[in-house]
Amino acid sequence: MKQLVLDIRPDAPPTLDNFVVGGNEELVATLGAIAAPSGAHSGAPLPGHLYLWGPAGSGRSHLLRGTLAAAGGRPTACIAAAEVGRELPQTPGLLLAIDDVDRLGDDAQIALFNAFNRSRSLGQTLLLAGKEAPRQLALREDLRTRIGQCLIYEVRPLDDESRAAILATLAARRGLRLADDVIDFLMRHGRRDLPSLLAVLDALDNASLERKRAVTLPLLREMMQAGLDI
Amino acid sequence: MEIVSQALTIESVSQDFWSFCLSRLESELPPQQFNTWIKTLRAEAGTSDEPSLRLFAPNRFVMQWVRERYLKRIAELGEEFHGGPLLLELVMAEAGSARTAARPVAPVMPVASEGAASASAANATRAPIAAPAIITRPEPEPATTSADLAYEKTRLNPDFTFDTLVTGRANDLARAAAMQVAQNPGTSYNPLFVYGGVGLGKTHLVHAIGNAVYRRNPRAVIRYVHVEDYYADVVRAYQQKSFDAFKRYYRSLDLLLIDDIQFFNNKNRTQEEFFHAFNALTEARKQIVITCDTYPKDIQGLEDRLISRFDWGLTVQIEPPELEMRVAILQKKAEALRVDLHDDVAFLIAKNLRSNVRELEGALNKVVAFARFHGRGISLEVAKDALKDLLNAHNRQLTIEHIQKTVADYYKIKVADMHSKKRTRVIARPRQVAMWLAKDLTPMSLPAIGEAFGGRDHTTVLHACRTIADLRLADQQLNHDVHVLTQVLRG
Repeated sequence: MKQLVLDIRPDAPPTLDNFVVGGNEELVATLGAIAAPSGAHSGAPLPGHLYLWGPAGSGRSHLLRGTLAAAGGRPTACIAAAEVGRELPQTPGLLLAIDDVDRLGDDAQIALFNAFNRSRSLGQTLLLAGKEAPRQLALREDLRTRIGQCLIYEVRPLDDESRAAILATLAARRGLRLADDVIDFLMRHGRRDLPSLLAVLDALDNASLERKRAVTLPLLREMMQAGLDI
Repeated sequence: MEIVSQALTIESVSQDFWSFCLSRLESELPPQQFNTWIKTLRAEAGTSDEPSLRLFAPNRFVMQWVRERYLKRIAELGEEFHGGPLLLELVMAEAGSARTAARPVAPVMPVASEGAASASAANATRAPIAAPAIITRPEPEPATTSADLAYEKTRLNPDFTFDTLVTGRANDLARAAAMQVAQNPGTSYNPLFVYGGVGLGKTHLVHAIGNAVYRRNPRAVIRYVHVEDYYADVVRAYQQKSFDAFKRYYRSLDLLLIDDIQFFNNKNRTQEEFFHAFNALTEARKQIVITCDTYPKDIQGLEDRLISRFDWGLTVQIEPPELEMRVAILQKKAEALRVDLHDDVAFLIAKNLRSNVRELEGALNKVVAFARFHGRGISLEVAKDALKDLLNAHNRQLTIEHIQKTVADYYKIKVADMHSKKRTRVIARPRQVAMWLAKDLTPMSLPAIGEAFGGRDHTTVLHACRTIADLRLADQQLNHDVHVLTQVLRG
């Protein structure tokens, strides 16, 4: 008999601390400064708007959410591009995160354009993310150049060692112990971007719970024979 | 009992003052600012025996903003109301508690000896938020007075002046016309119509006019408005049935600076309102300055009667800045940031970002932030590193075919050799380099990489990767080759 699995994952909410930094030290430090401007009383200027870009799975959303989570005391909002309407919130002092700016529709682009123009008087900070560098963004030119004026960071892709580390951490958080040979196998045989690795981890987690077996190389092989794509 | 009643009296006196203060500020400030910054404050009697008031801001940003811009004015009003100095405190309201005294904020700097405190700054802010109380006694210095509020109402950006505007062939005509208008508003060129591409400094120029007029005559009623905000004003007037006030306001201006007129596209009611405001202002010889991203005749969805009126005055163009001007813009900006920018670095940035000033500034900000973070001076090398985030946008599109072709070209072998069974060193080594690059620069699985190299096994790819990794330590030439190829592929 198969054990039914309750689909609740114990993934920790994204924070700046649980982001595997890799080559992104400067970016993470800057985000920390935006979240907690330590110079609140020293008169130091708050960091301006920020744009970070990188391919899917590079951790953009994690970084945006982690930054908002760290912004204690400051009003925050995180809005997916698809949900941006004709107007963005005009809350004073808002730290406003918008992901996937490359997917903004026509009205949403004007809404973001207006948010840029109003940010000075409203004291808002924009935290934007997208797939492409500003020069490649297919957006209205007046919006694209405003994004180009932000402080820009590429989210640097992780190397294999960092990916293996993330995989082990996430497995541990699910109460799974991934044997080194499983990780090695995945790094050698599978696609090595994070979303692909996480999908395999989820499949392994489910299979291990259903079959009440530890996650081992034989289990992984069986699953691959049963059609699991890695 | 007596103490209680005395406390009540103090409380009601301070509430009376606060109502007085609110009504005064409401009449002095634009509604958006009043609602945004003042209405969100909560007032309580202070703890002192003297007339005192404690204001609670909903968050740190409102607190900072109010402290910088309005606190002095509130203190002035307090003096007016009480006939003597008012002790004023501005603190942050703590979530969930209405009457908590402000505590000094814990320093955010990491403390080595305390484990918890030495965690990231992010953790530190999760502690209950409190901010030091600010106690201000009204001082005779003339900051944040009604004059400052009048300036605030103009919505001008004080940073955008003629002094901070870099002049070059691209904008000297527009600048000369703008200065002329600033010296003789309403009488020289009316309207002044400034057009040019995105990010070339149109907005800077119109703010400069506004700031110059304000400096010569602080009593002039000036308003900078973006068309999108003008449109929002029309919509609000429509909803609140307050068109009379709306009309009265816009027709009371001495100088109207209206930005990005192309956004009028198909907003008919807004165009209608603007048409009437335009007529009223020009008849009264009040100055109008308009910006647009194109020549008046080319504006889409704009009524002809408006377009023809734009021809009454002067139309000037701003062109994209040439290299020398871009360098000068960077130098000016660096001066404002108080950093030393050598010409070679300025040239590097200016050569790479040609089309508009905004991205030029973005690039400079990036270089400055990078240098600060790494504790280095701004050298050519640092600038090149920093600009990678802006310029190098190709590595995500890397395909294995592209890697194979680049490596084959570099070693002057045929692309077909990448797939062939030949195992001579001159061919096998480049093939191994290409496999290593494919593993390093793409997320492809090793079996997939092997497949792309003539159907090889993933263990062959693994062997190639290990070989190259080892050889790079021993063989300088190879290490150099790999380095160059990585640079080329990453763009």
